[in-house]
Amino acid sequence: MRKISAVLITILLIVVLLIGVEDLPESGKISNPTNNILSLTYLEKTVKETGSLNIVTGIILDYRALDTLMEATVIFSGFIVITLLFKN
Amino acid sequence: MIEKDMILKQIGKIIIPLVQLFGIYIIINGHLSPGGGFSGGAVLGTSFIIMNLIYGEKFVEKFISKKFFYKLIGFSIIFYAFVKAYSFLSDIYNLPHPIVGEPGNVFSGGFILYLNIALGILVASVFYIIFSIFIKKEV
Repeated sequence: MRKISAVLITILLIVVLLIGVEDLPESGKISNPTNNILSLTYLEKTVKETGSLNIVTGIILDYRALDTLMEATVIFSGFIVITLLFKN
Repeated sequence: MIEKDMILKQIGKIIIPLVQLFGIYIIINGHLSPGGGFSGGAVLGTSFIIMNLIYGEKFVEKFISKKFFYKLIGFSIIFYAFVKAYSFLSDIYNLPHPIVGEPGNVFSGGFILYLNIALGILVASVFYIIFSIFIKKEV
């Protein structure tokens, strides 16, 4: 019974995800929502506003610094859990 | 622990300082060239792992003890949080600010250099501590 219900739930999830994929826009079209002004703005303004030549670092440590803090927190919590589990 | 080969030990003497220098270079040049805190910290942590594998754990403890690694992890993440909070506040209230400089110098880009260093220390220490916990136990 458990195996059958697991298979059914999995099939249901696959169907739901595939319905979502169906609605994605076709790749490579100009009218796609990803082709907006954002990337051009970053390319033009990052060096002037943050002063870092490496634009990726300028984004992840200045515009998106809280996101990077949370990434560091993920590493930190992984370290805490491993230390808790394997300390004598 | 098994006594390691002589060739391995001699090669390690040459390679480990180079790997550590390269890791520090990636961290400090993070805002000028590809790289940054995460990748540079991974290289730096790997150099400690190589040291541990070749010369044993006691050799690493002679330079940096394990307690100091634990302290580095805590201090670097707190440092990151406080420096970034200060950078948000300093933009609003016109507080003193590190030199922005012209793009291309090492001391430019405001807080980015210090944030990169904190991230690099955090990642390197976590890598080494996790490795040194896992190598002792059979998981």
